Amino acid sequence: MGVLLYLGICVATSAGAQTAPPAAHSTKPATSATTHAHTATSATAALGSPVKTYGSSSAPITMEVFSDYECPSCRNLFETTLRQMIPDYVASGKVYLIHRDYPLPMHKYGYEAARWLNAAARIGQFQAVEAALYDNQNAWAQDGSIEKYVAAAMSPAQFKRVQSQMRGCGFETAASVKPAALALALGGQAGETCSVDSFIEQDRALGNKIPVQSTPTYVITYKGNRLPAGSGIVSWPILKQFFDSLLSQ
Amino acid sequence: MSNDARRRWGRILLIVGRIALAAIFLSAAYAKMKPQPGMPWTHGSVHTSLSMFAMGVDSYQMLPPWAVSPFAHLLPPLEFLLGFWLLTGFGLRISGLVSTALICAFVAAMYSAYERGLTISCGCFGPGAQIGPKDLIRDGLLFLPLALAVTIGAFLIHRKSSAPSLPESAPSATHAD
Repeated sequence: MGVLLYLGICVATSAGAQTAPPAAHSTKPATSATTHAHTATSATAALGSPVKTYGSSSAPITMEVFSDYECPSCRNLFETTLRQMIPDYVASGKVYLIHRDYPLPMHKYGYEAARWLNAAARIGQFQAVEAALYDNQNAWAQDGSIEKYVAAAMSPAQFKRVQSQMRGCGFETAASVKPAALALALGGQAGETCSVDSFIEQDRALGNKIPVQSTPTYVITYKGNRLPAGSGIVSWPILKQFFDSLLSQ
Repeated sequence: MSNDARRRWGRILLIVGRIALAAIFLSAAYAKMKPQPGMPWTHGSVHTSLSMFAMGVDSYQMLPPWAVSPFAHLLPPLEFLLGFWLLTGFGLRISGLVSTALICAFVAAMYSAYERGLTISCGCFGPGAQIGPKDLIRDGLLFLPLALAVTIGAFLIHRKSSAPSLPESAPSATHAD
């Protein structure tokens, strides 16, 4: 079997060397999050787009994960896979990890959690709040006590700044957010709308282009070539093997 | 329709059926093994595609971690060989049985993932849409009956062709008088 496979590959190599698919899906991960990657730690900078990334944007591999904070599979992916990946392949500059919000209508508090996260991310507290939300998902998904866990993840002064970001954000589920309010938020108008909604909607718009059908969905880009999206939980050893295979190209 | 004509049509249908079945397996193998966008056809790029398929296999959460990668690296070549085997028509009863068993296993895996509420890609023909009734119908009501029909047809034709034929001098009903 191995010999036949090898022969098949040799034939294909000689016949199809010039038939490499064009980089039609080639995209630069140049989004708001990417653009501001190097400002991740500058919490004192003027508030701009929330930075929801780990690592360096110059890493050869970019992994975008579309998640809903109330989704158990997203928590599993974070707890069992991404938590192992971050100190290893992200820290060593091999992978640039981007979080994208994709709150699902079926989850009561998913949208609200995404708002808190974006508010925290605007003051450079994304990583602490993401960990706190996933670690305590079972608790806040029952009663919506997101604020308590966000507060516990940072200093009181930082939490005050996050709270100020949340002004105008009434409780809304993903399903109940009004399109008109979203349009207003996307247009950048200050007013009655929640200021962080526009960031969530930007992520959702990116997800709809893929299209994201479930969470978690991950999109891997290697040297500018976007690979087909994957979904569900993938264990770290298998993901690592894939990254190693990509890096050896 | 005479017995000869019926037998000829049976053979033609069997050929069409096994070519269709072969095409399914070959296209499934190709979709899993073809290089990712921007990569040429090399041993390394095929390995990368199979590693990506391993991620899809892992998302089914059915195999122990140590078995995921070997399975993902063996299945597409197996599908490839099975497709060629079906095309040759050699030992069709066995290749038909193997095809049927493989499709049964695929349907069972997909049904299990669907029942467990896993929102994952089927991975049957490379990365694609989320598993749903459409995939179950396609595999369960289209591919599986096709594989079964080819297998049963292969057994029937083998039985007929291996049945002892009557000697030409033997009296038949029309010669009774």
